[in-house]
Amino acid sequence: MDAAVKEPALRLDNLRKNFGGRPALHGISFEVRRGEIFGLLGHNGAGKSTSLGILLGQVYPDSGEAYVNGVSVQRHRARALAKTGAIFEQPRFYDYLSGWRNLEIFTSYSAIVSKAALREVVEFVNLTHRIGDPVGTYSQGMRQRLGLAQALLPAPEVVLLDEPTNGLDPEGIAEMRLLIQRLNRERDITVLFCSHLLSEVEQLCDRVAILNQGRLLYTGRWQDLAPKGARFRLNAEPWETASRNVNGATIVEPGLIELEPGTDVADVVAKLVSAGVRVRAVEPVRQTLENLYLEQIEQLQKS
Amino acid sequence: MKLFLRQYWCELVKLFAKKRTWMGFGAFLGLELLLVWLFQRPFMERVFRNDLERNAGFTGMSMVFEDYFRGLTLASWMIAWTMTLLGALFLSLVGGDSVSKEAEDGTLRMTLCRPVSRLRVLLVKYLTCVTYTFALTFFIGFSAIFIGWCWRGFGSMFVFVPNEQIFSAFSTGDALIRMAILLFFYSLSLCTITSLAFLFSCSDAKPAAATVMTLVVMLVDHILYLIPQFESIRPYFLNYRIATCLNVFRDTIPWGKMLIDYVALLGVNATFVIIGCGLFCRRDFKS
Repeated sequence: MDAAVKEPALRLDNLRKNFGGRPALHGISFEVRRGEIFGLLGHNGAGKSTSLGILLGQVYPDSGEAYVNGVSVQRHRARALAKTGAIFEQPRFYDYLSGWRNLEIFTSYSAIVSKAALREVVEFVNLTHRIGDPVGTYSQGMRQRLGLAQALLPAPEVVLLDEPTNGLDPEGIAEMRLLIQRLNRERDITVLFCSHLLSEVEQLCDRVAILNQGRLLYTGRWQDLAPKGARFRLNAEPWETASRNVNGATIVEPGLIELEPGTDVADVVAKLVSAGVRVRAVEPVRQTLENLYLEQIEQLQKS
Repeated sequence: MKLFLRQYWCELVKLFAKKRTWMGFGAFLGLELLLVWLFQRPFMERVFRNDLERNAGFTGMSMVFEDYFRGLTLASWMIAWTMTLLGALFLSLVGGDSVSKEAEDGTLRMTLCRPVSRLRVLLVKYLTCVTYTFALTFFIGFSAIFIGWCWRGFGSMFVFVPNEQIFSAFSTGDALIRMAILLFFYSLSLCTITSLAFLFSCSDAKPAAATVMTLVVMLVDHILYLIPQFESIRPYFLNYRIATCLNVFRDTIPWGKMLIDYVALLGVNATFVIIGCGLFCRRDFKS
């Protein structure tokens, strides 16, 4: 097997970066496996864009190194990025030129791309009917799709997407999500997806890295962030009595319980009722990435 | 090489697809038409007649003003005044915009996602600026000759440049050759303004700031160059070297002096570009 194939698609190795004395990254390291859609999460200023900038060789790290397909971006930028595409939250184009001409211009800095390849990508992002129009006349959604088209030329193995759904309406977001899924499925492209829209990350990614103030909080499957036991929202009166009689479960916060492994929620309710507690409602809590992310941030702030 | 030419072609497309570029050419054409009209007003004609007759008297040449007040003479004046009034401004604008405007607009970040070195990107952009400098100078030159020809036919040409102590007269054929040589060397000279603007453009400056800084440097250099007390150090001023292209209007072209001046300008331009590249390559690009 080719040595490069064994390497992860992306690897960030102990990256540190300060901007004017203000630390932006505190030695972050994580890997993105080949063929996965990996989410990079964090609020504004968490270090997502800086990480992406370092991966693209646009930002120089103070220390550490970033690798694409096993090749160091800092030492061999051109080779490392030969099979990489990227779009930013607001892809910028030459508005006075047509979409087609823009694609020709940007791809000229990678390789000479055939018209057939250009046409195929334009079709993939569903821009065929407007590709000859000046980009200045495009809607935000069309600009994002054009941005994706330029990232797909010529034939990348890794695509870095920085907030690609920013500024899109719900229909545009769904369309972009579908395109990203198709990229991954049909073209076997590894995707690094940076976003603060947690619902988007949840729908697209299995594994995530969570950044907060330049530090890596978590990396792995986002579902693994969830506590082991199931959680239920419990509406019971009086709560004081209920809280003393919740056997087989722990109280996370007033009105929220987490069952111990092997405990049935029906048994917990039966005990509460026998203790004279009026149970009005028991509702399972679905663990979303948003809950888990907020919990992580909260825990960090407490610690 | 094929890829480099492709990138160069794409940069040219970007530059020449802008309405502003063509509006610039239009502005030059308009100014030339205004100048040719002004040059033929009686008060201007008197000034030119004086210049010719006085200088012809000094040199002992026998010259009839009407023989020399023709298309090519008008063209040489149009070129001189057009470039003085607008040339530096437009070259500073294009050179100043070349990198900083793209950095400001965000298109440069899109380009820098590509597997291409920053030096390569700069080289292509600088080459495009130099091409624009040549295109603009030749456009101004050819359009001036054409307008002059439309107004007064070709005829003979006289050139009077007091600062350089040049007074020469040429027949039509000779004048056309000298004009062609002038346009080439004038373009080379003007590359210094382009290079300076390019240097500022590569720094973290805004496009307007890059243009203004270039104009300020050129203006200060020109003022210092004209101060009589600084005569002994004139060769150190950019304008001294830039003006060397006017030597093509001497009866015998001093090729040796011109070679020295252009080697010096080449050194200055290379220094500007290298400093610009150095500044650019050290920068972080982030939204």
